[in-house]
Amino acid sequence: MSYLPWAIAAWLFGVGVYGVITSRHYVHLIGCLTVIQSATYVALLSIGYRFGSVAPIFYSRPTSTPAVDPVLQALVLTDIVVGATVTALLLALTLQVHKKRGTVNPERLRPFRQ
Amino acid sequence: MIAPAASVLVPLPVALPLLAGAALLLVGKFLPGRIPDAIAVLTAILVVAIDARLAAQSLQGPLVYWMGGWQPTGGVTLGIAFVVDEAEAILGAFMALLFAASFVFAWGYFEDIRAFFHVLMLIFLAAMQGFCFTHDLFNLFVWFEVMSVTAFALTAYRLEADPLEGALNFTVTNTIGSFLILGGVALAYSLTSVLDFGALARSLAQHAQDPVAVAAFCMLAIGLLIKGAAMPFHFWLADAHAVAPSPVSVIFSGAMVPLALFGLGKIYWDVFAPVPAVQLLMRTLVLALGMTTAVIGGLACLRQRHLKRLLAFSTVSHGGILLIGLSLPGAVSLGGVLAYFVGHGLVKGSLFMIAGILLARAGGIDELWLRGRGRPLWPAGIAMAVAAVLLGGAPIGLMDSGSRLIGTAAAARGEDWVLIAMVLGAACTGGAVLRGAGRIFLGLGAVAGEEARGPSDEESEKADRPLWLMMLPVTVLLIVALGAGVAHVDEAVLGAAQRFLSWDGPSSIAPVSVPPAVAAPGTTHSFVPWATIALALLIAAHDLGRAWLPGSWRRVSDRVLSGPVFGAIDRAHDGVIGDYVVWMLIGLALFSVSSAAALHAG
Amino acid sequence: MTRRTRLILAGICSVLIAPAVVVVILHIPAFGHHPLPYGDAINRGTVARRHVTNMVTAVNFDYRAFDTLGEELMLVAAVTGTLVLLRGRRGENVSDRPARAPDRPVCERSEAVTLACRIFLPLIVAFGIYVVLHAQLTPGGGFQGGAIIASGTLLLYLGESYRLWRRLVRSLLFDMLEAAGAIVLVLCGLGPMVRGHAFLENVLPLGQSGALLCGGLILVENAGVALAVTAGFILLLLEFLEETRAAREDEKS
Repeated sequence: MSYLPWAIAAWLFGVGVYGVITSRHYVHLIGCLTVIQSATYVALLSIGYRFGSVAPIFYSRPTSTPAVDPVLQALVLTDIVVGATVTALLLALTLQVHKKRGTVNPERLRPFRQ
Repeated sequence: MIAPAASVLVPLPVALPLLAGAALLLVGKFLPGRIPDAIAVLTAILVVAIDARLAAQSLQGPLVYWMGGWQPTGGVTLGIAFVVDEAEAILGAFMALLFAASFVFAWGYFEDIRAFFHVLMLIFLAAMQGFCFTHDLFNLFVWFEVMSVTAFALTAYRLEADPLEGALNFTVTNTIGSFLILGGVALAYSLTSVLDFGALARSLAQHAQDPVAVAAFCMLAIGLLIKGAAMPFHFWLADAHAVAPSPVSVIFSGAMVPLALFGLGKIYWDVFAPVPAVQLLMRTLVLALGMTTAVIGGLACLRQRHLKRLLAFSTVSHGGILLIGLSLPGAVSLGGVLAYFVGHGLVKGSLFMIAGILLARAGGIDELWLRGRGRPLWPAGIAMAVAAVLLGGAPIGLMDSGSRLIGTAAAARGEDWVLIAMVLGAACTGGAVLRGAGRIFLGLGAVAGEEARGPSDEESEKADRPLWLMMLPVTVLLIVALGAGVAHVDEAVLGAAQRFLSWDGPSSIAPVSVPPAVAAPGTTHSFVPWATIALALLIAAHDLGRAWLPGSWRRVSDRVLSGPVFGAIDRAHDGVIGDYVVWMLIGLALFSVSSAAALHAG
Repeated sequence: MTRRTRLILAGICSVLIAPAVVVVILHIPAFGHHPLPYGDAINRGTVARRHVTNMVTAVNFDYRAFDTLGEELMLVAAVTGTLVLLRGRRGENVSDRPARAPDRPVCERSEAVTLACRIFLPLIVAFGIYVVLHAQLTPGGGFQGGAIIASGTLLLYLGESYRLWRRLVRSLLFDMLEAAGAIVLVLCGLGPMVRGHAFLENVLPLGQSGALLCGGLILVENAGVALAVTAGFILLLLEFLEETRAAREDEKS
């Protein structure tokens, strides 16, 4: 049971990459990138978890209560912002490509087509 | 050892461009004329000055600066450290110089998006400085990501079909690379629970046989190699650098790609050096990848008629040479890497600027279409020939110092065959650029069917900038590349390399002492630069002098050039994102098989 | 490569990578039992050192505030890049006519939708502001609150007309707000240096633990981030919604 989080992270990564390789629509490909990113969230958060711990908020608890690792949660927050911004950029690029080429099929989008 | 009064300069190379960028975003709409350009140039020059001062101050000891005042307490590193070493400060100063040159070159170029170009470029500059100086693994990722995001946005500026598709390929491949880096950070943290380089190295020394440590290095390395365009992760580069606006391509090829490779060196020496399996991986797999990249990049270069795509492939090739230098242990090869980094960046930057001049003044970028049309732009022609000779391995200048030192380090380990890849790569790229110069500016080398346009779109760039303004940064860069006093360069980079290797990693957790100086080694195989430049001249002459060659020779060479090897290279770079990701998987498989072997051998 | 070739190659690579993944999974320290000295050091000492009770905020805006600076500027760069990409072709003039897809019917905006949006918009914005203000006490922060507020303003478009959305959401204003947020964060870094402290060092009075105003510089950084994130996401929504308008004659190419 204790291998499950890591197996999930590896599975998400694999599924996401499979989706990118076989994608026929760029918006679908961007969604697959989000799936790959979720793999990193699962991996990071699972490392910081400890059984029997609470969230690292000590508003109504004494400081000595065992809590999970706040550093990893801060890292995941940064990760989420990274994902959101890159997704916005990719979607904007896809919109413009659709206007220029009329297609968003990755297999038909080749720069310097010979 | 910290020089306390000096430390206040350390965060400024990052903070000042960020402040200037944010300020330009705030008021850029209201500033008249060329004031944003002036602010950008001044900021870049200021960063050069600060970095030079930091380099001078770090001669007696690295400058360790803890952000937020979080000095380590009780052996636990709570905050993020910047450790400025002479080597890193030199690289930082060089990159800021390249930015300043690019801003001068782009004077008046980006009129229709107000100051947005300068905002993005200034944030890009700050990210590169941060990436260079940081001593924290996640902070490295953050600056890597800032660099990536600004690069993605700048690539697609022209909003034509080719730049958009190139930007999409660039973004998707590099984003997968960032996720791999995050996975590597996660694995490293799971073992050690620290993020500071010095503390990581100390902790990894106790986990030296753990496969998780090797896996962490592999994921970090692959992420950085994707950005650094090593085979088989390099496919995005030709698509992206060829379509980005010229001032931006200058930075991409001159600074961003080599910096990612240097980042790999940084995490290797500062963090993962205590792990024996990783050492073995660097000396075998990474060396092999570097050699393959150098050769394949050079061969792909020969087939290109789109000038910027040709230069992009030459960046791939020279990146391979840098990777060779990084994979060899010792201060000699690292010194060579430093000199080569700076030399190559200067030369490649000036070449992309010349490509921009051709786009703006001659109205095209296709080498065959441009034949002879460069004649009125003869100063650019002279510059291009000088740059081509430097690229092709001529025995003068910074690039030559670099490749000589790397070659000497390889020969000292008995791996002389490494030089073959370096010679081939440099000769092919130098020869291709020389051929381009001869064709465009002298009108040599007519080819049947050249009137038909190449496969790229009609391209041109903003034409009303004066030639002298565009040639000014080109000349400055080439003069610096030709080098200040060659003998001093060798000693300077060797000293910087030796100091970096001995004290950069642990300096955040323990005081260090000045290491002994390294003697400049004698040069073995001094015929190598001459052989390289001769081969480059031969390649150029062969293409330019086709009219005077016997018919049978021409048929044979045509058959080779469209034959299986070159054809396969062309077909592999087909621009489809699914194929690129499959190549990435192949690279991942390579790394996992090699790591398994390295762990068993260690 | 054909699709089949790609899948075959990917399959071979997966077979080669799988053993490495399995070995790594077996060797990672056991889930739920990791020793976490870094996290523990922060958990134990922060309430006394900085008077805040949300450890994640303390890490984000104090211990590792430099990361947040980079992340914030990355958001600014990405929003700027998206603006360049979307505005570049269109220019900044906005058209009012919605684009019509040939085979889709256009429905009237229902009054129920308008009512629901009018009820929920102030609630969501208030909740977002609450999340921003309580960053140092309970789960929340500039990023989270900013995203909530920005998403809330979308209800303006959903419930009212596009015209009202454009009139209330001015791109120039949000451009400047976003830049102002970024400048606040950089000045939080440079400010302490003027007095001889380190970059981003928390030098403001720390206040009382558990009060709304505690944490010193954390509050200012939090406000800067909230401003920049809100403005940035609203700008993104603005530009993407612009794409739903009919193209002007001179940009159909």
